[in-house]
Amino acid sequence: MDTAPNRQIQRRDPATVMRLSRLGSLHQCRLSFMRILTRRMARENWSFSRPVFGIDAAGVGHAVYTAQGPDRAYSLVAFAHDLPPEMRSDRVIATAWDATFTLFDGIPTEDDIARLSQNVPLQEAGRVSESEISVSRANRSVRLWAHVVDALASGQQPDRAEIDKVGYLMRTTAVYGSGKLGAADREQIADRPEMQVPFQAEMLSVYLTRVFVRDLVQHMARAKGGEGAVDLDPALARRMGIGNSTGLGMAPYIVNHPVLFNNWVMAREEAIARVRSVATASPDAAAQFRQMLRRSEVSLGQWRSEHPIQQAKLADLRRDMEVLSRHVAGDDQLNDHPWDRLMRWAEGALSEEGQELVASLILEPYPDLVDGLASCMADGNPGAFRIDGAMPISELRALIAASYAWAFDLNWTAPENCARAWYVSEEKLEPRLGERFDEPIAEYEQPLAPARDAAAAHAALASWEGSRPVAEFLLAHPEHRHTVRRAQMSRLAPYGEIHDNTISASVLPIDMLRAKLAFFGAIHFDPRSDRWVRICMYAGAPYPEELSPETADDWVYPEVPA
Amino acid sequence: MSFSLNEIEATAKRAARGAGYPWGLAEEAAKATRWLAAHDLDACAELAGLLTRIDRVSLADLSPDTNGATWVASGGMLCPLAAGAALSDRAAELSDAGFRLQQVARPALLMPFAALIAQQIGRPVTLRWEGGGAVTDGAALDLSGTAPELAPLVEVTPGGEIGSATPIRSRAQPAPEAWATLNRLAHRTYAPATEESRLKGAGAGLSDND
Repeated sequence: MDTAPNRQIQRRDPATVMRLSRLGSLHQCRLSFMRILTRRMARENWSFSRPVFGIDAAGVGHAVYTAQGPDRAYSLVAFAHDLPPEMRSDRVIATAWDATFTLFDGIPTEDDIARLSQNVPLQEAGRVSESEISVSRANRSVRLWAHVVDALASGQQPDRAEIDKVGYLMRTTAVYGSGKLGAADREQIADRPEMQVPFQAEMLSVYLTRVFVRDLVQHMARAKGGEGAVDLDPALARRMGIGNSTGLGMAPYIVNHPVLFNNWVMAREEAIARVRSVATASPDAAAQFRQMLRRSEVSLGQWRSEHPIQQAKLADLRRDMEVLSRHVAGDDQLNDHPWDRLMRWAEGALSEEGQELVASLILEPYPDLVDGLASCMADGNPGAFRIDGAMPISELRALIAASYAWAFDLNWTAPENCARAWYVSEEKLEPRLGERFDEPIAEYEQPLAPARDAAAAHAALASWEGSRPVAEFLLAHPEHRHTVRRAQMSRLAPYGEIHDNTISASVLPIDMLRAKLAFFGAIHFDPRSDRWVRICMYAGAPYPEELSPETADDWVYPEVPA
Repeated sequence: MSFSLNEIEATAKRAARGAGYPWGLAEEAAKATRWLAAHDLDACAELAGLLTRIDRVSLADLSPDTNGATWVASGGMLCPLAAGAALSDRAAELSDAGFRLQQVARPALLMPFAALIAQQIGRPVTLRWEGGGAVTDGAALDLSGTAPELAPLVEVTPGGEIGSATPIRSRAQPAPEAWATLNRLAHRTYAPATEESRLKGAGAGLSDND
């Protein structure tokens, strides 16, 4: 244990943390939702079963996977389909998939499954009930799926290099939760200890989906190869995660939930500040950090992207990794606030990708300082919605300035500063981003430019006396009500606002997607465009039969080859 | 059909926006509708009734002049969302004399705002109109009589007792006509699909065969 007195290092400034380029450089950490879930399931000794596996030789049918916790069970109900290639799309506007899923609250009866079989395969066109917590779907990685089935069917193990090239056999293309399509509201499960941390139901659904996909590929290999077929080598199976193809829909989410997103970022920033405040590290802690650094080098070696933006960032990160390894080798990381010194050094020596990797890695040796913060990541404050109309206008102005002073002097009518508009298409309500000056979309614009709106509200406030109450301003200017609400929320959510222009000609929505996905625990971000990203989840994670307190946490870092 | 309260809230927000409310008031409309639904009222019918009645009327004509002893709208009829938000914003000013509001459309939609006031002042709040009224302590709701489509006068006063509270619901079964009305208004917020938007707007191709 570290016993030296600690100097308290403050959390980093939101003006630094909440820039889009930095949010777009975040990495998973101890507080990622997947790791929080696997730690809990191992600690509480959850049990897992597969009560139904009714899939035919063509790969069509359904299966049920049940996870039993201390108080409640949750079941993934999976439907496998025979999908013609021309229907395989990862867009929201797709209408058919290789597999569709729902997470059932409890253990489903045959009647439940009959009802779900009429709805879950239809996804958005179907309806579920308060007995279901999430709805999702996945498509095969066509190349890797064929390779693995063919290899196993002929009695061979698939090629490890082929597996590493893709990383997963199926990728989910949407995971709907919190009341969507008729499912249970978040409020219905939020009080359960195992669901208190955000997105635990969705993360459980994906964890079980990975088990189903492994079982399905083995089933298909046996159907093809008969007695000559073999099962996947468990070590190879463990390398495979579940992919995810994520579009624009996630970007509005972090803007529309400022308190929730603040709580994620603030928990991580608090964790970083606590570890930076450690005066003296134990040799064990220093060794553990160095080990995780080596393992994340292995992970980086497996990270591929075809997108020029990410390729450049990866080149920077690889250079960062070399510089970092050299720097770490020349310091014992023991004395004089070693982690604070490392963070300060990183600010001057590494790219934002590298700096944020360091910030995540220094948390690894300190579960006692970090892991408890998971309980602060939910949004348990519905009262934050309520506007305080008695607040003096001078105070409101200061709040707006704290998050958005940088936006006041921007020329918001200049085309480059408002080139884009976020909108929802009538086509399956797909969220999209368009060119304001080239497309007829401005009248459908969603309120996803808080910086522009803050600048407008601040200008409107200029002629008001500072001592007058906000209520008077809002009666005269109801069009600024949403901005006033956000500004007041920022009192308790200093990390709730993005300190960048979300409608500029150069905005990269993938930065917003990455920030959210990094908190899920995703790795190997592979943008397919400026607004669409593929990722990998649970690669390296133990399957249920391998899950234990020893395997539950560090799996995200691949072992260093002997 | 059974809907989640998040579905009610999301649809109410889009419908209010589609009917012309600024985003901030659309958010209030959504939370208010959800609150009423959670308190076992026919929330979607109330909102649909309001939005149908005020559709495309200027918000300034529906908003209260709060300077006099009685709040009135310059257009004659007060919008309960604009008036409710103004009431909640002035919670600290609520004295025993109360607030008086004239010609309020759909006064049931004031109840969620009364709850916001009760949460701020730490006391129940009572609404009274001809033929009925409501008391809320911020969480529970005691409704007496029925809520009219238009109340000539609504009195908002601090205090009151919760006698028999309405049941709390986690789902809603909106009447199909009201739900259709809200969705028709919500549809106005969706951009028509064009081929260009389909190909470029989401940033992904249409095929996933790799």
